[in-house]
Amino acid sequence: MASVELRGLTKRYGGSNAVDGIDLTIDHGCLVCLLGPSGCGKTTTLRLLAGFIAPDAGEIHVGGKRVSSPAKTLPPESRNMSMIFQSYALWPHMTIAENVAYGLKLRKLDKATIKKRVDAILDVTHLERYAERYPGELSGGQQQRVALARALAVEPETLLLDEPLSNLDANLREEMRFEIRRLHNEYKYTTVYVTHDQIEAMTTADRIVVMNQGRIEQEGSPEEIYQAPNSEFVARFIGGTNILKGRSDGDGAVVCDGFTLRCGQGTPAAAGEAAVSIRMHDIELLTRQPPDRENVAAGTVVRQIYLGALRDYLVELPNRAQVRVTTAMQINVPPGRRVWLRFPPVHCRALAPSAPDQTKSVQVETVT
Amino acid sequence: MALAHFRIDPSKPVLIAFSAFLCALIFLPLSWLVYFSVTDNAGALTPNNFIQLVSDPTLLQPLLTTVQLALGVGLICSLVAPPLAWLVARTDMPLRGWVRVLVTASLVTPPFLGAIAWEILAAPNSGILNQWYRALFDLDPYASLLNIYTRFGLVFAISCYTFPYVFVLVANALDRIPADLEDASAVLGGGAWYTARRVTIPLVLPAILAGTLVALLQAMTLFGSPAILALPAGFHTMTTKIWSLFQYPPKPGLAAAASLPLLLITVVLLRTQHRLLRRRGYSIVGGKHGAPRLLHLGGWKWPAILLCLLVLGSSVLLPYAALIKTAVVKQPGEPLSWANLTLHHIDFVFFEFSATKLALYNTFVLGVLTATLGTALALVIAYLTARQLVWGHRVLGFLATAPIAIPGIVMGVAIFLSYTRPPLVLYGTLWILLLAFLTIELPAGYQQLQSAFRAIHPELEEASRILGANRLQSLWHITAPLLRSGVIATWCFIFIGVIRELSAAILLFTADTKVVSTIIYDLNESGDLGAISVLGLTMLVVTFAVVILANRLPVLGASAPGRS
Repeated sequence: MASVELRGLTKRYGGSNAVDGIDLTIDHGCLVCLLGPSGCGKTTTLRLLAGFIAPDAGEIHVGGKRVSSPAKTLPPESRNMSMIFQSYALWPHMTIAENVAYGLKLRKLDKATIKKRVDAILDVTHLERYAERYPGELSGGQQQRVALARALAVEPETLLLDEPLSNLDANLREEMRFEIRRLHNEYKYTTVYVTHDQIEAMTTADRIVVMNQGRIEQEGSPEEIYQAPNSEFVARFIGGTNILKGRSDGDGAVVCDGFTLRCGQGTPAAAGEAAVSIRMHDIELLTRQPPDRENVAAGTVVRQIYLGALRDYLVELPNRAQVRVTTAMQINVPPGRRVWLRFPPVHCRALAPSAPDQTKSVQVETVT
Repeated sequence: MALAHFRIDPSKPVLIAFSAFLCALIFLPLSWLVYFSVTDNAGALTPNNFIQLVSDPTLLQPLLTTVQLALGVGLICSLVAPPLAWLVARTDMPLRGWVRVLVTASLVTPPFLGAIAWEILAAPNSGILNQWYRALFDLDPYASLLNIYTRFGLVFAISCYTFPYVFVLVANALDRIPADLEDASAVLGGGAWYTARRVTIPLVLPAILAGTLVALLQAMTLFGSPAILALPAGFHTMTTKIWSLFQYPPKPGLAAAASLPLLLITVVLLRTQHRLLRRRGYSIVGGKHGAPRLLHLGGWKWPAILLCLLVLGSSVLLPYAALIKTAVVKQPGEPLSWANLTLHHIDFVFFEFSATKLALYNTFVLGVLTATLGTALALVIAYLTARQLVWGHRVLGFLATAPIAIPGIVMGVAIFLSYTRPPLVLYGTLWILLLAFLTIELPAGYQQLQSAFRAIHPELEEASRILGANRLQSLWHITAPLLRSGVIATWCFIFIGVIRELSAAILLFTADTKVVSTIIYDLNESGDLGAISVLGLTMLVVTFAVVILANRLPVLGASAPGRS
């Protein structure tokens, strides 16, 4: 059952489209991450969902009911949603218990029920001891938990999170990522989570929606996004990959300067410019020239970094492209040495070129 | 939901209503001001007022005097205040905290009261200091050391109450300079003096300039001090000249024309000041970077303390002592003795003289009304602009800040011209004073509340909305409690501003609508210094009480537990 549905959602700010015709269906109980660089429209999408702003075109449906359209936007308070803000937005003049009870009081529950539910949620979020404290007296991580508790206490239909971990330091962030996932598993609210951190998205989401310039670049499970990026943008944004440029030979291979990459994944352009993505750890680094030539390129080690379990190499190819390769710790090659890289076809993914290239290749096609 | 569908967007009517009110408040008087300046008594268009303004020496001379006066005050303030601020903010001078307190005291002292105090101290014959001087050196009864009724005396008396503007800006700038910036210079080999010259002083230079401009502006637009000190000395400044043009036979057209240069200069100076303070690179990002290291003064602390004593003695200690003494003695020039003590002045002010009772009542009513209405008005405008709730909120913000560029006396002229004729004949009522005070105090109130709103993250309200509260509930439960201390501060600020206002009130009061400041001015005309001292001290006590009350009382939102 679809819980949240965006249809052609568009929001303009000063002539440019912050959100540009987004279509998205979110299943009930699903945790979806909107992932993208700053300015990609993910926060605007979230604020449209919350009803803080009205769309210029398109609609939002929640539970089969239309809540946003250019003609009429249901105010935030009538949407039965909760939101966790980047700043936490804890009210400094209320105690933790008062903060958490706020939404329940507005729902006109009786005192005993409110107390019971506040106690329960403070228990789940490990905040029992801080009920009578003020937000200013808590640490960043504790404040984050209060924000979570306050949002969950009202048992929302939909939970929205706006970069909830960006104000925490690295250790706490990791801890809270698992905390958010744990609480989601416990309550199974339909959740939309906005972040620019791909690791955060990978570790918490059921589905990831990669956004770029107000549009959805790719949507899929974390595995799909990581293993099968559809575009150069997604491949680069998720990270840990090399993008090699060349020309498509029209037969499933990309010819680079001095070597050819046969691609076992993706669909390269019929002809013209093409790009191949291959993950750092999928490349084999060889110290001797292998007998076969398929998907092999010679190169020189430029830099090597010891990472404990792994070594991180930077290898320069004859066409001056630089490739990052991670190998087992045992393979130790000093900089300056000649090496051979094997790009196994099964890991080579031909990509739709990113937007500017797309127009170029179209031009090439029409000319030829 | 069906109902919500038909709900009209309330932002348009709200915006229109507030804009219309603000326009009426500001542009109506200004329009009349311009109209009167370019027409003659019959209403025909004429440039005569301006021609007379630049050709009549009795009008041109005050303009020149005002410029001299302003430059003199600016010079003194820029020389005295920055060293004082630096001593307080950057050195280990003893009693630094007291210096700050006393500077604040001189900031809240109405300049006309200070001028009267200096009259008591340094009038050529009766001045206490001159009497001491004669007694000390056994001189003849006409010898005098100081004469406050001179151009320099006026510059001095004004500087005493304008230097705090420079001090406050510079001290704040010094407080905000992260110690790192100075440490970085020291690490690179810059000595204390080199660091001060190349890092610290350039960083506070905009604050010094901006503060000096404010001091200039004050000196130019003050009415009280020149009226008290320049008129007996036989010369006029622009403000006293404008006031005299309202004396019989009134020449409102000429007064309006004379007001316009003052308005123009104020606008230019404020624009300059604004630009100075906003220039990028000079604005130092906030946040504490560790307290700055204080310079050890060693033996230099004695000259430093002497300087502070000289400045604060002139602006606070001596004048206050003079006022207190004058309030309780029969002859201020005589030494304190049981025979000389009297309660007559206190009795006169509070029980005998009916005019002061009326003035106290009027002042109180006007203070409370203006503060309440002004705060409410500023609150709504600040909310609309800070949250950008209505289209065109910038216009509202501009309108609310515009009166800052209108000097009190110009506002007095403009409001007099607008409300002494139909459709709104308010002259002779408290309403005209209320309108004037409301307009004059609106910018400060608006700016205070706007920054208070800015300090409240919009997400705090949004969090309340998404949890199920509507806009009004969110305002009531979240915004109002967080804003409380800001609102109270604004209320007190306006209240204090009203009870000390003289420049506009002097043109607008009538026999039934006297206020304390105009009574003080009247009593000065009749030379009743004892009663003035009692009234002035009452005014100061009320002012300080309000300030302290607003800062201390926990009921009023000073400090709730756990505020971060």
